[in-house]
Amino acid sequence: MRIAAIVLETCRELLYRRTLLVYFGVVTLTHLFFLLALQTDVANGVIASMTIFGVGGQAAGNGMVFDSGAAAGPLGLSAAKFVGGVQLAVAFALYPAGIMLSVFATASLVPRMLEKGSIDLLLSKPVSRPGLFVARWLGALLVAGANLMYLVGGLGVILGVKTGVWNGGFLLSGLAMTVYFASLLGFLALAGTLLRSTTLSIMVTAILFAVSLIVRLPHQNAEWPALITGRAWRLAAQGLVEALYHALPRTFEFGQIVTALILKQGGVSPGPVINTAIVGVAALALATYHFSRTDF
Amino acid sequence: MRALARVDLAVHGGCVFGLLGPNGAGKTTLVKILLGIAFPTGGGATVLGRPPGDVSAKARIGYLPENHRYPAHLTGRQVLDYFGRLSRLREPMRSRRVVDVLRRVRMEEWGATRVHKYSKGMLQRLGMAQAILNEPDLLVLDEPTDGVDPIGRREIRDLVLEQKRRGATVFLNSHLLSEVERICDEVAILKEGRLARGGRLSDLTRAAEIYEVEIREPRPEALASLAARVPGLRPGGPPADGTAAGGSVARLELEGDVAALSRLIDLLRQEGIAIAAIRPRRDSLEDVFVKVVGEGEA
Repeated sequence: MRIAAIVLETCRELLYRRTLLVYFGVVTLTHLFFLLALQTDVANGVIASMTIFGVGGQAAGNGMVFDSGAAAGPLGLSAAKFVGGVQLAVAFALYPAGIMLSVFATASLVPRMLEKGSIDLLLSKPVSRPGLFVARWLGALLVAGANLMYLVGGLGVILGVKTGVWNGGFLLSGLAMTVYFASLLGFLALAGTLLRSTTLSIMVTAILFAVSLIVRLPHQNAEWPALITGRAWRLAAQGLVEALYHALPRTFEFGQIVTALILKQGGVSPGPVINTAIVGVAALALATYHFSRTDF
Repeated sequence: MRALARVDLAVHGGCVFGLLGPNGAGKTTLVKILLGIAFPTGGGATVLGRPPGDVSAKARIGYLPENHRYPAHLTGRQVLDYFGRLSRLREPMRSRRVVDVLRRVRMEEWGATRVHKYSKGMLQRLGMAQAILNEPDLLVLDEPTDGVDPIGRREIRDLVLEQKRRGATVFLNSHLLSEVERICDEVAILKEGRLARGGRLSDLTRAAEIYEVEIREPRPEALASLAARVPGLRPGGPPADGTAAGGSVARLELEGDVAALSRLIDLLRQEGIAIAAIRPRRDSLEDVFVKVVGEGEA
């Protein structure tokens, strides 16, 4: 009951701040766009006709022609390709936005909790320190995850009803991004408990995000160490790259995984997801340990 | 730097205990250690028979920290409901208690208002309500009357005494010595992280072997005779009722033991002087505090 109370209170606190409500609004507008503006007629898995805001298109040979006066030309759209394309575009536009807004919204949760007068009161209650800390993390994850699932669930259903294409890969991509955010939130919590500053936590998380994206390049490229002439420096640089690559979320690979899941390309390796989950759990465990041992 | 060193004290169950000391003496650190908010580098303590920070003991503790903060988006009632949940209060008891404590701190009309609209005094009342919500066996109050008007202060004082009557032990950390003097049974004074003085308030504020004696219709020649025959007898200040010395009532001060007091009483009777009052002289808590804190600083 106590942990559930902290989780619910954390959710309520996040909703009060409205940052994630902005994201909820953007997602809702996206849903409304596809719900109200898009009309399709699908036959044998191919879109026979489609109107967007009343502008119509007809099947023409292997593709489609929009008869708005300025024909869009043959598009060669199967319903599955259309849905995959839309979902991929939405995913690449709204997943990063969702992650970014979620980081902004949740970055203050730990520093605020650690403020004098607030932490004293919480720690005087019969709740264990690890329970208190993990419950805050869980509350933040629930709200951010709910937003992501609202995006993929809503859009998946709308497009499914309109085209008859039900893409489970889109749902899985949303779940994968929730795992990614959970991991990032672990690092955010670690930064929050070490630095006790919302601004610094956001900055550190942004740097980790950027590094996790960039570090994949030297990791993949076997030739680059040759650019460093000194053996010690070369080994140190190689070690640093590998350490960062393995200790941070696999941001680049998540982009590939999302694409592969939505477009059903197959060959999706769970490795990066598992690795990202592990480093996230490790960051959260470290943050929880530090929180449990700190004098307030 | 050591915040506390060799502090050895016990607080008896069912009493109101006042922890005093100048700024930086280590009062809040001591409270935080007892509640498991901070960790000692050495030594040990038990709270309600359990080690500090023990979760089951915390369920029996109510705490009002100094400068406490509540989630600004919650109403007073929601704050109490939230902390009631954290204190393991179940429904429907929790809702009943929330209504009850809001009434007791006279905040029932503000229960539906968000706390960011509360004044400091109202926040303090809400904090008090939160602290007594679980009917704790140990109530720890850090500056409970901070920012509260005189009427509110009196109400908080009454609440503390009510908790004592209920059987709770109250641990009070306050700068307001007059408040402490009015409600505490025992006090301890910390100075530079060490326990400088401690014990029952009545013992601490009693000056050693000094008695005040008020007499009626004093005759100067009789007083002079008494002063010559009783060592340690001297004129006191004005009488307690405000009558000027030399009027119908005079105050004498006797520095001596009970035998000396008995001898004085005998002599007064022999002289036919009426005794209006006899009382051991007490220092105020402020006198004791200033003396203790000032020791070694001259």
